[in-house]
Amino acid sequence: MPAITVDSLTKSYGQELALDDLSFQVEEGEVFGFLGPNGAGKSTTINVILDFIRPTNGRVEVLGMNAQAHSREIRSRTGVLPEGVETYDRLTARQHLEFAIDSKDTDDDPRELLERVGLADAIDKKAGGYSKGMSQRLMLAMALVGEPDLLILDEPSTGLDPNGAREMREIVREENARGATVFFSSHIMEQVEAVCDRVGILRDGEMVAVDTVEGLRDSVEGGTSLRVTVDRIDDDALQAVRSLPDVSDAVVEGESPPTLVVQVSGSKTAVLTELEDRGVEVRDFTTREASLEDVFQSYTTGTEVEAR
Amino acid sequence: MSTESGTATGSESTSSSINLTSVRAIARKDFQDAVRSWMFWGLSVFFFVLLVAVTGTISYFGEDIAAEGATTEVLVLFVSQITRLVIPLIALILGWKAIAGERETGSIKILLSLPHSRKDVLLGKLIGRSAVLSLSLVVGFVLAAVIVAVLLGGFDVVDYFSLLLMAIVYGIAYTSIAVSLSSLTRSTTIAGAAMFGIFILFYVVWNAIQSVFQLLMNRGTIEGVSYTTEGMGLDGTTEQITRERLPDWALFIDMIDPGNAFQNTITFLGSFGGEDMGTTYPADWFANGVPFYLENWFSFVILLLWIVVPIAIALYRFDRVDL
Repeated sequence: MPAITVDSLTKSYGQELALDDLSFQVEEGEVFGFLGPNGAGKSTTINVILDFIRPTNGRVEVLGMNAQAHSREIRSRTGVLPEGVETYDRLTARQHLEFAIDSKDTDDDPRELLERVGLADAIDKKAGGYSKGMSQRLMLAMALVGEPDLLILDEPSTGLDPNGAREMREIVREENARGATVFFSSHIMEQVEAVCDRVGILRDGEMVAVDTVEGLRDSVEGGTSLRVTVDRIDDDALQAVRSLPDVSDAVVEGESPPTLVVQVSGSKTAVLTELEDRGVEVRDFTTREASLEDVFQSYTTGTEVEAR
Repeated sequence: MSTESGTATGSESTSSSINLTSVRAIARKDFQDAVRSWMFWGLSVFFFVLLVAVTGTISYFGEDIAAEGATTEVLVLFVSQITRLVIPLIALILGWKAIAGERETGSIKILLSLPHSRKDVLLGKLIGRSAVLSLSLVVGFVLAAVIVAVLLGGFDVVDYFSLLLMAIVYGIAYTSIAVSLSSLTRSTTIAGAAMFGIFILFYVVWNAIQSVFQLLMNRGTIEGVSYTTEGMGLDGTTEQITRERLPDWALFIDMIDPGNAFQNTITFLGSFGGEDMGTTYPADWFANGVPFYLENWFSFVILLLWIVVPIAIALYRFDRVDL
């Protein structure tokens, strides 16, 4: 049974279409990265999943239950780190957690939870004096209350320094190891690739790609760029390389030393063999994989990936 | 920014359930939060000072009044008038941001990420804020009572505390109005304007309505009700005079104002009569007896309706909007 099923989800605000016939599934037990630039519709999707807003069309099921009709049951088994939210200025971290523990009717220890997120020192300080990063840690601790089956983290790295972001990913791994499904939204690829089993990329309210990190890397045309230093530039050889089936582009980068840059998605050896066969001597070569950031860029801006 | 589109889809019910454990958790958190508000305590201190000053003054000059045996009534009259004016102010300011503020800052997502329904949130807020306001009233009334007791040597405790009880009911009515209005928008600016609107409505407009009715009656647009009363004739003899008063429905409209309802209600529990408080209509006005909806006990029903109706509307509507 999938943890989250989004089926033909559409949400419009008057003329403006925030989500356009969006469908995807999050499998039970996986860490799913929900990626997209700001404004792509990530928060809108999460808001529908949590019944904060109502769909114009389509259906969402969470943990096998309808997101609207059974919202309370869903949320009792879900931990949520909402995005762009202020904590209660006048309440301490302990009071925040006691409220969450009360609400979920569990017997967690506020101090233990705060130790996990590195906020135990500020347990009796009012949240009004917290930095953005501290508030984020506090809300992560609230999300962990009651060992939820599903964690929904909306832009969890907001306000965290690199160290904090790393600790957050560590907690995601721990929770996943415990058996929780994690649904994790971000606009930065780097933060999801290290921890996610699968990634879905959202653009203008539509899912443009859903795949494993490896699969995404492979799916992009021109996945690898091959830089070859040769003894001389030969136009015929260059044409021959361009016409190879796996090559999308080949250009002369420089004359001294003569260097070619070839975008290749398949065998790199074929390129080198072709050059040798045409009497061009290969002196040196390097390859560079397209980074996931490039992949993300290509999906979200519609431009082709050019690994450099 | 305040436009809302709540679209129900298909046959799925958007109506949420009420869970008392959730309501209690929210009320508790909201109490902890609101009781630490400086704005609230500032207003409460203002209320205490006003109350203690006025009761102190009455008590100080109370001997003259006491000679007439009416101290508690005078005390209750003054205190009720201060309370009537100040409670709406405190309640509206206390409830102003109850929901709109949480929607504006997004912290309502903290509440609703937890297993609470939207109805739980509204009811919890209403109970939490009502508890804070009641705490302030109890503190204010007890402080004032101590001063009065010291200066005056005693007063009718039952009357005084029945006034406190009614003040709390009155306070909850305004809190219900405030929390409900606050749930209609996600802009605290609009919510603030709505609070101000309510304030103007019942402090200014409602009184004006009665003057307008009186004027319309004098011009013959509204048909008044004739009644006969005894008056002094020109030659000094008692004679029957026929006068006109506003019709029952116009009198009823006046009673709808929560402030009027509160003042009418005080006599409902206390030992004093409506004549002393000036809340009872002259007996001559109703030849065939006072209709039930103009009696003082009905004012208590009106006060209860001011608690129930606004929150009921808000409960219905808040389930159906996008946050």
